[in-house]
Amino acid sequence: MKKVHPEAGIACDTMNEITVSVENLTRRFGRFTAVDSISFSMNPGEILGFLGPNGAGKTTTIKMMTGLLRITSGDVFIKGMDVKKKLKRVKRFTGYMSQKFSLYPLLTGFENIEFFGGVSGLKRREIKEKMNEIRDLVPESYLYRKVKNLPPGIKQQVALFSCLLPDPEIIFLDEPTSGVDPVNRRRFWMQINELKKNHKSILVSTHNLDEAEFADRILIIHKGIIVAEGAPSELKAQGNFDSIEELFKKVVSDEKAH
Amino acid sequence: MKKRIRAVITKEFFHILRDPRSLFIVLVLPVLMMFIFGYSLSFDIDRIQTVVIDYSQSELSRSLIDRFASDPYVLTAVYPGQLKAVNPFETAEDMLRRRSIKQYVVIPINFASGYHKKIKQAITAVIDGSDSNIANIIHQYNERLLMDFISERKNVKDFLSIDTKTYFNPENKSSFFIVPGLAAVIMMMISALLTSLSVSREKESGSIDLLFISPLGSREIILGKTIPYIFVALLEGAFIILFAKFWFDIPFRGNFLILLVFALLYVITGLSFGITISTLASSQKVAMIATLLATLLPSILLSGFIFPLDSLPPVLRGFSYVVPATYFLLIIRGVILKGSGLQHFIREGLVLLAFSFIFLNIASLKFAQKRKNRH
Repeated sequence: MKKVHPEAGIACDTMNEITVSVENLTRRFGRFTAVDSISFSMNPGEILGFLGPNGAGKTTTIKMMTGLLRITSGDVFIKGMDVKKKLKRVKRFTGYMSQKFSLYPLLTGFENIEFFGGVSGLKRREIKEKMNEIRDLVPESYLYRKVKNLPPGIKQQVALFSCLLPDPEIIFLDEPTSGVDPVNRRRFWMQINELKKNHKSILVSTHNLDEAEFADRILIIHKGIIVAEGAPSELKAQGNFDSIEELFKKVVSDEKAH
Repeated sequence: MKKRIRAVITKEFFHILRDPRSLFIVLVLPVLMMFIFGYSLSFDIDRIQTVVIDYSQSELSRSLIDRFASDPYVLTAVYPGQLKAVNPFETAEDMLRRRSIKQYVVIPINFASGYHKKIKQAITAVIDGSDSNIANIIHQYNERLLMDFISERKNVKDFLSIDTKTYFNPENKSSFFIVPGLAAVIMMMISALLTSLSVSREKESGSIDLLFISPLGSREIILGKTIPYIFVALLEGAFIILFAKFWFDIPFRGNFLILLVFALLYVITGLSFGITISTLASSQKVAMIATLLATLLPSILLSGFIFPLDSLPPVLRGFSYVVPATYFLLIIRGVILKGSGLQHFIREGLVLLAFSFIFLNIASLKFAQKRKNRH
């Protein structure tokens, strides 16, 4: 595999090494089409921001990509493997975290890590090491508390840590920052940037538009359709917008007019 | 595979300990049920209120009446038969109807004289037959009382008998029969209930996605979720058996450990059944109701617990073969009451194992299906 120099930046070197490709992905619930034939790709060492208002189809898309939801039509290939057919193998390369259900609330932080470590097939010794590692990120006293009693920022830290336990190449983060305060949100994005330097492919969905600036590339989905795609700076330049927020308002209201 | 199952087992253990609902089921429900059913189904009666109408009024009749004044009888009144002012029969029947007494006994006028002349004599007992079981037991008590009475006197064996008037045929039941069966029913219900909530709970909270998305195989998840409950359910089983022994004074003729081995197989069957329901049910409520219905009704009605299997119509009889309690009832009654050993129940043990195997496979299959076809 082609090595990418950590400082080499994003797009150009890695474009031909697509890790995830989504083709005409569609999901219908009865007569309602939640995701309407969308296509995009993910690259190593790239943060892909997935924006859209509530109910736009962000979670539905991510759930289909991770095999949590059946695909109505279209395809998802992860490292060339069809998610519909090779789900078990695909799981070895992917990590998934959602703000809502990523940890067992009745277990403590340490117990959750023990569980997810064990489930991902880590050895006892490796799990012990990981438990030491997280002490550097989160004050130890929190880790002995049940997750349901933790503040959102800490919960998010533990959730991200558990999601990364098997060291996945491709990481799906579904609204990881919702309900998290600005300080922790910032810290979170710094961590994501570290992951990016390690050539991970990262998809982050969010409805915090200011966070879009952290992404290398963004997709805006509205009513199941991708209405804008590109690097934040490009997109802003194209339409002469001052911020992504402005752009977002424009494309979302455009859609409404149809 | 082992490592990953262990992770699931550990997690489930924590969940058992921290989920008050599971703990309630584990700790409180069996005791409650043992009490409620143990007493309401008890066919032993500790108070048999009796009125005696004594036409004989002899020394002999009085010594018989004395017996009706001792435990478990409660002698409510003795009416001399000659008294013309009151009609003793009418009074007694009225008391019987009002349920203030359970029976009245009539001692015939020539009871004493006949006894001395060795002429066959019968006293009459009129028993409240509204509850056939109670009536039956009173009848048995009366017989025993008369036997005792006779055995203390010489040469009267064939000359004294009791003539019982009830509407029902005698059946052969006692608490010794009921309580072990009750243990079987409760063990099935509790163990199935324990696991029935475990998948549906995660479905409800949404955390099932965490399992779905993990690299865990469906079989690993099902086994990992079932295994920790084996310890809980076995503990519960041992507790129920000991409770039966010490609280209800069931004579324990067999080996406790042998019974425990079979109890282990039986609770695994129950747990496997529960987890199967759990994979099918959409919510905890549905799982709970389905489990209660599917375990209690067949275990009580079709297992030989209350109705003898021989008396079931052929179709239901056939159905009783697929009720796990049917097999465990044979075992628990055999070991407790008859002192049967391991070798007597190899067939039953194998059947229970087969049940577990089948249920666990259905559960894994259903779970895999659910995982594949998410909405």
